[in-house]
Amino acid sequence: MKQELFVQRYRHEWDAFEHWLNVRGESAKDARSTRRQWHGLGDTEIPARFRRLCQQLALARRRGYSPVLVERLQLLMQRGHTLLYRTPAPRWRRLAMFLLAGFPRLVREERFCMTLSALLFWLPLAAIFIATQYRPELSSALFDASTLHKFEAMYDPHDAAHALGRGSETDLAMFGFYIWNNISIGFKTFASGLVAGIGAVIVLLTNGVMIGGVAGHLQAIGSGDPFWRFVAGHSPFELTAIVIAGGAGLRLGLNLMAPGQRRRVDALIDGGRRGALLCAGVLVMLLIAAFIEAFWSSIGWMPAGVKYSVSALLWLSVGWWLWRGGRNAAFDGTAGEGATR
Amino acid sequence: MLDTFREVVTPEGVVLQLRAAGPVPRALAWLIDVAIRMGVLVAAGSVFAVLGRAGAGFYLIALFLVWWFYPVVFEVLWKGCTPGKRALNLRVISGNGGPLGWQAAFTRDLLRVVDMLPLFYATGLVSCLLDPWGRRLGDMVANTLVVHDAPPRALVEATAAPPIASTVVLRQHEQAALIAFAERGPRQSLARQIELANLAEPLTGLRGEAGVHQLYGLANGLLGRNE
Repeated sequence: MKQELFVQRYRHEWDAFEHWLNVRGESAKDARSTRRQWHGLGDTEIPARFRRLCQQLALARRRGYSPVLVERLQLLMQRGHTLLYRTPAPRWRRLAMFLLAGFPRLVREERFCMTLSALLFWLPLAAIFIATQYRPELSSALFDASTLHKFEAMYDPHDAAHALGRGSETDLAMFGFYIWNNISIGFKTFASGLVAGIGAVIVLLTNGVMIGGVAGHLQAIGSGDPFWRFVAGHSPFELTAIVIAGGAGLRLGLNLMAPGQRRRVDALIDGGRRGALLCAGVLVMLLIAAFIEAFWSSIGWMPAGVKYSVSALLWLSVGWWLWRGGRNAAFDGTAGEGATR
Repeated sequence: MLDTFREVVTPEGVVLQLRAAGPVPRALAWLIDVAIRMGVLVAAGSVFAVLGRAGAGFYLIALFLVWWFYPVVFEVLWKGCTPGKRALNLRVISGNGGPLGWQAAFTRDLLRVVDMLPLFYATGLVSCLLDPWGRRLGDMVANTLVVHDAPPRALVEATAAPPIASTVVLRQHEQAALIAFAERGPRQSLARQIELANLAEPLTGLRGEAGVHQLYGLANGLLGRNE
């Protein structure tokens, strides 16, 4: 068939398809509200029309029709492809399902990396904490004098009116600071895992050493009580989130180094997909942690008993959530994200 | 075919040709985005400064959102374009030619951290230059691609000229060249058209404007036009 005849025969189809794309393809919301006014190509016909267009494009290429025609068909086909193969819009229900079920499932699926990450974080923390109890001068090797002085001032047990864990900043300012600082650290921990996992290991180790060092120093000089009262509330979410972000980073690094029976890039894509989902959970956990840290942890007058019971409750619920979340039969097959491999 | 084309076979069995963008337009788009982000932060800073100490908290939250979520939100909600990319006619799409989802946008944004190492996107630039489709590390992990957006063009009619049946049998690529000339010629100056048509003298046996018209006629004959 000569090109001219081909164009004559099918041109009205392409125009109708393009018109549909222009008017109804832009926004699903507008398309719904103007359903009654529309008299062109029916929405249900579009997939069939798209396949027809694809066939016409293949024919045009095969028959060596002119570049301008092929380009026009390809452009139409690309627009159709973009529309038909778009990812579904996120839904609140799905988001809630992910947080309650998909995320804990994903964490459990990656239990090897998570355990490794937890060890890399908690072992140096505990080791430094215990070491500073016997050799208090160790803390001055870890931090310089002005940093130590700042920490001591922040958790001064003799200054009861003082808000715990901070200088003169207000709760709201600190809330912003925790969001910016802590969540950025969480995201960076994951991303730096791409450097063969080394980045994530370094972040986990340094955080473990730093936190262990501060805790050990304050405990050794007798400022333990305000310090523990401050950190008890938010630590369940914050420390767990850092460990999970580190685990996601380790998974990415491991996929880079040992892709298994996949192409390396496919292993990375899988690691990145899981990592992004885990980071979404980490984001929520760190938001909760920042909220607690800014508005609850700093309350100085709250008796230690209350703070510790709340902390124990939070640790238990985080543990329960990660251990049991998504095991319920009701979530089977619906939680989606964490379950599909 | 230029080698920056990425060909993706869609489920319908047709090849989708994507024109991957190189580091230079991407860097320019990034610069525009940086300017916009700085502008937003400066504006936010001066507004929140009025609120005093609590303002610092709001400012840091704004900083967090602009730093981490500016690209994600724009790329997902604005068909793969940030304002900078829109200005340079670039678009982020999924590696299979489909539109970008939240998850992929978030992944490529998170891995910006690695691409920025050690300074000024050095890692990203090296990766961009080595990869056949100019992807940075974040693009590879998220399975995304930055492409040039083809501007929509109307179907150009070949120039009207009485169709002539060719006496010589032309091979496929020769036919394609003739038709391409007939479609693109009218957009060029007459001198250029004549210069090109003179190259085809062995076929038409004519020089100058007569040769141009002869070629248009032959092309119309090939396209199957009848008056």
